[in-house]
Amino acid sequence: MSFKVAAIGDRDTVAGFALAGVAYTYIHSKKEETLAKLNGFLNSREIGLILLTHRVAEELGFELRQMIQKKKLLPMMLRIPDKTGYAPKTDELRDLIRRTVGAEIIVKREGE
Amino acid sequence: MAMALTVAPTRMELIKLRQRIALAQKGHDLLKDKMDALIMELFDALRRIQDSRAKALEQLSKAYSALSECMAVLGTLETMQAAREAKKDVQLNISTRNIMGIQVPLVEFRDIERNALARGYSLHTTSSLLDNAAREFERALKLLVGLAELEAVAFALARELEKTKRRVNALEYILIPRLKETLKFIMMRLDEIERENFTRLKRIKAIIEERR
Repeated sequence: MSFKVAAIGDRDTVAGFALAGVAYTYIHSKKEETLAKLNGFLNSREIGLILLTHRVAEELGFELRQMIQKKKLLPMMLRIPDKTGYAPKTDELRDLIRRTVGAEIIVKREGE
Repeated sequence: MAMALTVAPTRMELIKLRQRIALAQKGHDLLKDKMDALIMELFDALRRIQDSRAKALEQLSKAYSALSECMAVLGTLETMQAAREAKKDVQLNISTRNIMGIQVPLVEFRDIERNALARGYSLHTTSSLLDNAAREFERALKLLVGLAELEAVAFALARELEKTKRRVNALEYILIPRLKETLKFIMMRLDEIERENFTRLKRIKAIIEERR
């Protein structure tokens, strides 16, 4: 099956990805509108990957986390830094691992 | 203290219970093996994510700086215009594959990198800086797609691991202790009945002998 890519972020980030051929782009302005758009993307059958900047992800906060929890295998969602290189320290995957595997794994990982 | 199940203290129940404990133990061992295997897989995935993320983020920051350069020289409006005109035809072929019974996405993509003519914006009104920015973004997108795939795999594995761990714990700390407690209860009860019977017989014997 072939899928398209979507990107949500600030104007410049979105412009860059549009240049690279990303089919669906959305410039974030209001939280509610972005959430609605993101929901549309998540339920769309032709989108395989959603790129979301960390800054937008953080603004969406709790609702986004809920969406990620409920999300099916596709579309995949990836959070990326925007042009300022902003990326927070925590991420869901690491939290999930800490929760499931326990602290000893994290210690090992840092030792690598 | 584990609560015993409410069952009739009979030999039949005892046999049934022994079978259940054996089965639960077997299931527990199997799930534990599965958990170990999942942890190994997850480790592998995490290691690959680390490499892939470093590469992707580096390329992405390169792309951003190329874009800023382009906006500075060509003008923001022209760059945006070109972005609107650009052909948006990136396609990913996504199928699923199985890792130990878990569905994870498998992404194949045709070349995301295109040549300047295929990008769709007008070449004579734009400069090579725009081509450069677009190329950097295409490369970044390629790496990001790879990263997204790895992350999806790790996420699915971690989720499955969470589920498995919950099951292992339920067996280990709830079900098996409870069954064992019930087993103990039935055995005690049966012994008690045995003793009761024994004293009853003794007593009857004494009464009969008294009558003679």
